[in-house]
Amino acid sequence: MKILIIEDEAALAKSISDFLSQEDYLCEIAGSYSEAIVKIESFQYDCILLDLMLPGGDGIKLLKIIKDQKKQDGVIIISAKNSLEDKVAGLKLGADDYLAKPFHLSELAARVYSIIRRKNFGSDNMLEQKEIKVDLLAKKVSIQQREVPLTKKEYDLLLYLMSNKNRVLSKSALAEHLSGDIADMFDNYDFVYAHIKNLKKKLQEAGAGNYLKTLYGSGYKWDV
Amino acid sequence: MKKLLNISLKRFTLFAAILLICSIPVYYYIIRKLWAYELGEHNIVLTSEAAKEDSFLIILSITSLTLLFFILQLVGFVLINLRVSRILWKPFYDSIEKIRNFDLTKQESIDFNSTEVLEFTELNQSLDKLFLGNRSAYVQQKEFAENASHELQTPLAIIQSKIDILLQNKDLTDLQYQLLDEMQSALSRVSRINKNLLLLSKIENNQFLEVEALDISALLKEKITVFDNFIQEKGIQVQASIEPEILLHANDSLLIIIFNNLFTNAIRYTPRNGKLIIELSKNQLRFSNSGDVSLNRSHVFQRFGKSSDHSPGAGLGLSLVNQICKRYNWVLDYSFVNNFHLFTITF
Repeated sequence: MKILIIEDEAALAKSISDFLSQEDYLCEIAGSYSEAIVKIESFQYDCILLDLMLPGGDGIKLLKIIKDQKKQDGVIIISAKNSLEDKVAGLKLGADDYLAKPFHLSELAARVYSIIRRKNFGSDNMLEQKEIKVDLLAKKVSIQQREVPLTKKEYDLLLYLMSNKNRVLSKSALAEHLSGDIADMFDNYDFVYAHIKNLKKKLQEAGAGNYLKTLYGSGYKWDV
Repeated sequence: MKKLLNISLKRFTLFAAILLICSIPVYYYIIRKLWAYELGEHNIVLTSEAAKEDSFLIILSITSLTLLFFILQLVGFVLINLRVSRILWKPFYDSIEKIRNFDLTKQESIDFNSTEVLEFTELNQSLDKLFLGNRSAYVQQKEFAENASHELQTPLAIIQSKIDILLQNKDLTDLQYQLLDEMQSALSRVSRINKNLLLLSKIENNQFLEVEALDISALLKEKITVFDNFIQEKGIQVQASIEPEILLHANDSLLIIIFNNLFTNAIRYTPRNGKLIIELSKNQLRFSNSGDVSLNRSHVFQRFGKSSDHSPGAGLGLSLVNQICKRYNWVLDYSFVNNFHLFTITF
């Protein structure tokens, strides 16, 4: 899986690259508009992470170029602007997702994972880890052919954990993923704990191994 | 307060009246002298009665003539003054009207009419300079807030990403994780403050202009379910009376900001097992949550205005709500009644 990171902030680009590389993704970095053009035109990527404000040109223009070439590359916009107009414009032009800075790398990883799966597996979209099977289209989880009844939040949580397998996730990253806009309005993330507890219980009752580990008291890890 | 023109008119009139009154004895004296000289030259002698009658006639005719001229003069003054005020002072009144209607927060420029009078041209030029300076200071201040928040997003993103990477380190000890966790929560707070500041300056800069008819009854109900997690966790009892299908013309992002902030605020400040009452009617939305002490009314809607000693927030939420209400000419009000904080928006 090849990923192109178009981001002029070297420190951030390196973080993203380091984080995603743990997942057997091959990451390349383009730090400017011209560098990005060369890479886009010469190679094929599974996913492109696109910063909108670049030295030498506008990221939106790059997006147009990618889409004009009818390439199948998935595009996630990562922008400091976080303006609704940009988001709408980006998605209209064919970007697959939009993530405002600052973001958790695990959130980015989950979105990359989801786009790559969508591009490569099309309609038959089953995610399997150990004995756990997730039907991404029907949004159903089953263990040994038996369906596990999960609430929407629990399902989201499981998918997030599975797409960040073997990584340590902080409570704040999970809270932000679970409640989007409003999570960062609270300082207290205790509701995450309740969801984790329920999910763990349901999975174990359905016969799954204990993959959801608690680390250091308040961190979590999907250990498979 | 007197009008500038009336002051000058009064002075002119007074001066003319005094002058004319003083002129009566002078005229009388001169005419009498001339009269006596003529009589003497032609050796005419008048009886004392005739002389008395003459001097009486002279006084009468002089006085009535003077009065007539005075009235003519007065009418002339008023007419001229009206004309002068209409023509001469017009640019002055124009400028005053323009200044009165000028609103710094609206993005419109002020154009003074050109005039041929040197003084007014100078006045308008000086005013122009003053307004330009004011406007650019205002724009700079607004842009500063927006740019500063923008520029902060990237370094914040870098710190966030480094913390996320550090968390993956296999040799991390419990103590180090706790330190990182505390850094993380501080960073989340900074990010939140920054996001809200950016939002606030965007609203002040008149972004979010699209307006559509929104079913706020449905939106409000949806929000109650979104916040349900947080409400239940604190054991807050919610009582909602929402009239169905109430439509408001507003920007949906802005309305959601209002709801989010009212909910967060209510949940944050309601004591454990407290009560939250949400009422929506045709022209009013009210959030009432239980509490012990009234908030400081003068600070409650101010930016960074901490209205109580124990608030974990940065004091931007209600300021955002206030700013949005202002945009749509809704009235946001706070009061404290029977141990309930009442936040009321009147549409």
